[in-house]
Amino acid sequence: GPCRVSMSMTEIRSGFTAIKSNIQARDPIRTLSILSYPDSLHKVKSSDRCCITHHLFNFYVDKVFKHCKTEDSYVNRKISSIANSFLSVKRNLGQCHEQNKCMCGQESTDKFKQILANYEGLNVTSAAIKSLGELDILLDWLEKSR
Amino acid sequence: SGQLYCSLPNPRNVRFESINMKNVLRWSAPEGTGEGVLYKVKYSVYGVGKWIRKPECRNINRTWCDLSSETSDYEEQYYASVKAFLNGMCSDWMETTRFNPLTDTKIDPPMVSVSSTDKSISIILTAPEKWKRSSEGESTSLLQVYPGLQYNVSVLNKKTKKRWWFSISNNTLVVPWLEPETAYCVSAQIYVTTPLLHSGFSKEYCIATLKDETA
Amino acid sequence: EDVLLPPQNISILSTNMKHFLTWSPVIVQGETVRYSVEFQGEYEREYANEMWLPICECSLITATVCNITEDISATVAYDLRVRADIGARRSKWGTLKVFFNRITTSLTPPLMKVIADGYHLLVKLEDMGPAFQFYVLYWKKGQESRMQQKVVKEVSSVVHLGTMEAGPDYCVKAQTYVEAINRSSSFSQTQCVRAQGGKSMWLV
Repeated sequence: GPCRVSMSMTEIRSGFTAIKSNIQARDPIRTLSILSYPDSLHKVKSSDRCCITHHLFNFYVDKVFKHCKTEDSYVNRKISSIANSFLSVKRNLGQCHEQNKCMCGQESTDKFKQILANYEGLNVTSAAIKSLGELDILLDWLEKSR
Repeated sequence: SGQLYCSLPNPRNVRFESINMKNVLRWSAPEGTGEGVLYKVKYSVYGVGKWIRKPECRNINRTWCDLSSETSDYEEQYYASVKAFLNGMCSDWMETTRFNPLTDTKIDPPMVSVSSTDKSISIILTAPEKWKRSSEGESTSLLQVYPGLQYNVSVLNKKTKKRWWFSISNNTLVVPWLEPETAYCVSAQIYVTTPLLHSGFSKEYCIATLKDETA
Repeated sequence: EDVLLPPQNISILSTNMKHFLTWSPVIVQGETVRYSVEFQGEYEREYANEMWLPICECSLITATVCNITEDISATVAYDLRVRADIGARRSKWGTLKVFFNRITTSLTPPLMKVIADGYHLLVKLEDMGPAFQFYVLYWKKGQESRMQQKVVKEVSSVVHLGTMEAGPDYCVKAQTYVEAINRSSSFSQTQCVRAQGGKSMWLV
């Protein structure tokens, strides 16, 4: 059957909304997107959605959040809240992946490679802050495709 | 030609104001500049390399510019920027924060229509439409944009002053078993859980139940 | 000077998704002891070099309780620690004996008041915060098999359940549900009411 993962979207959303303008203001690069270049996440085929979601949660947990520490304690606490929520979801998605419910096609593999290339094209802190600032792109896409 | 000196004070509070995804760029005039200031506007899609000028908002003296058409794809995010000119001087380009039409728009209350019989009232709610280029253009209800959209409906019995609340997903509600010849006032609000969006409440629509012919 | 001992008996009181860290006071005659609290989620332990994050609302406080609800915002195992300060003197950290996961919060049945307004059955529910939904069950007394359910996500004051025939009692009970931890409370006490209509009205 399909991969069903419960996700406290409301909590993640409110955590991100609380720090969105702070984080996005730290990203001066308007001309590049980690998640949306060259193609929007919304172009991903539905059959590839689970795999991309699985990859992206791993990406944020493994690569992004740890490089987002700021001088602002409140922002750091909100990042911790989002990171721990993502960890919880990543685990559940991992189980789906192990049960072969989250198959990866060529397209999703290519799309994720592109995201990693976009990420590695910047220095790690800029890439991490930019990725965190694009969280609503991910959340909008996840909700639309729910 | 005259060399433009960018020492004019900057436009202030440059931001998008969006209602039902009618996305208007607004700003305040530079401090202390008085009359005669002109502006030009540009915008960009986040993640795409170039700024695009808005011809209809070039050398304008008003402090707003409708960018609904340019920002109608709500799967994208945007920046916009304004520059001021006066007597051969100019300001810096002043930018908005990143604008996400899906989460940063405000939603109008639903339209409410009410009818009654002697013992019931029927309520039909209509969610507002997303902004569209022209009245002939294809309509998109915000219900299509926000599939999780729901309605909070309040029904006030004007005689007893008691208010009841209903939370519904579909857009019709029939309240049966009411008192004949009694005024009821209905008001409704839209709410979306994620992204978290609430409209205000509609104004109250009052209607009286009819006379009970069987009495 | 004596070594300042760390706070002891550090534990968490968690009810209805409100989480409070408490500890025993450190007693030093004639001195005001202040405490500071930090937290660490599973993410910090496994991916961020076991980083601790201060809770500024509970920094150098004299109380021996700290509301940690805002920071316990994921369903993972959290660790918390407290230390004491007297001027320049500072104790070691005292930490929880076992990690805390909000999935263990105790959920109480909702406060509920059932109202009959004419032939209409209504319920007034306590607002318990955005994490809570309510499952409200209602039925005609004696017809438990034909129980109806309404899910109430946003609590406004008086929620309309349905209509009642004149005569029989109608009964209602409710439980809370927290989607974030996928758990429900036990049901509230059942409350029954009867329609208050002057005339009897027959369902057509």
